Amino acid sequence: MSNFKHHIEVHNLSTWFGKKAILKDISCYFEDNTVTAIMGPSGCGKSTLLRTLNRLNDLVPNFRREGEVVFRGENIYDMGYSVYDLRKHIGMVFQRPNPFPMSIRENITYGPKLHGVKDEDELEKIVETSLKKAALWDEVQDDLDKPAPNLSGGQQQRLCIARALSINPPVLLADEPVSALDPISAAKIEELIVELKKDYTIILVTHNVQQAFRVSDQAAFLYLGELVEFEKTKRIIEAPADERTEAFITGRIG
Amino acid sequence: MSKEEIQAIDHSESESEVSFIHRLKNRIVDPFDDFLNADRSGKTDKAGKVFLLVPAFASTLIIILILAFLLFESTPILTSPVGGPGIIVNPTWDPNRNLYGIAIFVVGSLLCTTIAIGIAVPVGIGGAIFLSEFCPMRLRQPIKMITEMMAAIPSIVYGLWAYIVLVPYIKNVLAPSLQNNPLTGWIPLFQGDTNGLSLLAGGVILAIMLLPTVVTITTDALQTVPTSLREASLALGATQSETARKIVISAALPGVGAAIVLALGRAVGETMAVLMVTGNSLQIPYTLFDPTYVMTSIITNQLGYAFVFPLWRSALFAVGLVLMIMSVCFTLTAKLFIRWGMKTRGYI
Repeated sequence: MSNFKHHIEVHNLSTWFGKKAILKDISCYFEDNTVTAIMGPSGCGKSTLLRTLNRLNDLVPNFRREGEVVFRGENIYDMGYSVYDLRKHIGMVFQRPNPFPMSIRENITYGPKLHGVKDEDELEKIVETSLKKAALWDEVQDDLDKPAPNLSGGQQQRLCIARALSINPPVLLADEPVSALDPISAAKIEELIVELKKDYTIILVTHNVQQAFRVSDQAAFLYLGELVEFEKTKRIIEAPADERTEAFITGRIG
Repeated sequence: MSKEEIQAIDHSESESEVSFIHRLKNRIVDPFDDFLNADRSGKTDKAGKVFLLVPAFASTLIIILILAFLLFESTPILTSPVGGPGIIVNPTWDPNRNLYGIAIFVVGSLLCTTIAIGIAVPVGIGGAIFLSEFCPMRLRQPIKMITEMMAAIPSIVYGLWAYIVLVPYIKNVLAPSLQNNPLTGWIPLFQGDTNGLSLLAGGVILAIMLLPTVVTITTDALQTVPTSLREASLALGATQSETARKIVISAALPGVGAAIVLALGRAVGETMAVLMVTGNSLQIPYTLFDPTYVMTSIITNQLGYAFVFPLWRSALFAVGLVLMIMSVCFTLTAKLFIRWGMKTRGYI
């Protein structure tokens, strides 16, 4: 099964915040160069699942987990597994644009500098390629030294995508990346996600069925912490096997 | 003039009189009506505006008046042939011989403040980073509370403690061990006999007094940095300390700057504790163990004797004027720095 290089497998994953169970016995996998949509109503654990994949939940007090997340054949929760190394390979884009309060250029070079890239020319090249991949280069190439928070919301989010791409991670996690944006910026970012699929494995959290349908290859439907369905997106949307999935898709729950 | 015309004028006069009284009544009554109706939509709270204008102007006015008063009081020395603006670079202070150079005090104050800031700012920012970024939740509140309590201790108590503990320590332990150690004994900063009352003692006690200000304000500034920025940095593979150093501190720099400004203001203006431990000797300190005399101390010590000697008294007021100008300059520089920080970070 594991003939994919950057395959992520989740085995029987359960998580708790304090006493509250968030995810219940979830198993799924994410293949190379596909977009997987994690769908579900608010509070169903979508974001928790995503943030468990790059161990961002570790810092939350009272977080507890059982089960495994296997990335490239290793359990990322094993003792001695370097979380910094993991996050170097799994980039993340957040729900709200969160550019660092620095210049556009510094936002992009932050990651590469952390991981030891010192050469100015190389950094310059990374800035250009990352911004081009995020379809932002044409808009900001003359303003690279301007503060990033002055960009518009959609531009900021694309900058955040560029920042995530700057360290060239094979996997990209996106936590409802367009929910805080206007429709035009949202459409741009959706296009971008489809475009990026060529080079990256993308895991996208969304509660928008239409969006999942437009961009994703496979989809997982979560409901109250349970993985209800995990299938090709087309199959789920056209012929939901479970009645809860159908209710969500037709808008009766959500 | 025809009768009708006069009548017309009369009429108009009486009418304008009525409307004048009417207007006067409106002038007086309306604001109160508005004040009472202020919570209804479409009403401007005129009375509230006027009453709140007074305190708003008062603070500005007080600064201007104090500056004017200091200028007025120090005019005699600044215009006298034995004084003049040159006193600020003249190091000889001897009122009996009509020598009023205040350079010693300026230098003393600046050095003391520099030492205090040099200790308090790094230590305070370090503590704040720990409290905000690394400290377990359960410990944060108690530590912060105790730090805030430190700020409430009267400065004379700090002075007493320093006099009994810090000064003897410098005299008996620190100075001999530094001077006898072959590694540090040759450094000019550590030379000189000392009775413990020294520039170093003043700087250290000031630093201790500044710490709570720096720690609490910096912690608050760091806590306002959104969690999403920390997560973004962590998600790029940064460690927690890299995130704290490169993202959190940088994002909170304007707030950290404000903490340093407040500390600076307190440092140059602090009197009692410093007065008790610096030795108050009329000389420019060349080493850490030399005694020194700061601007606030000379005013406190000599104002009583100087009151009947116009020049002497005026010179003391001139010291106050220089002190005030210095702290205004610190504040303005810091404000500019904060503004620059906000601009480059896209906050404004």
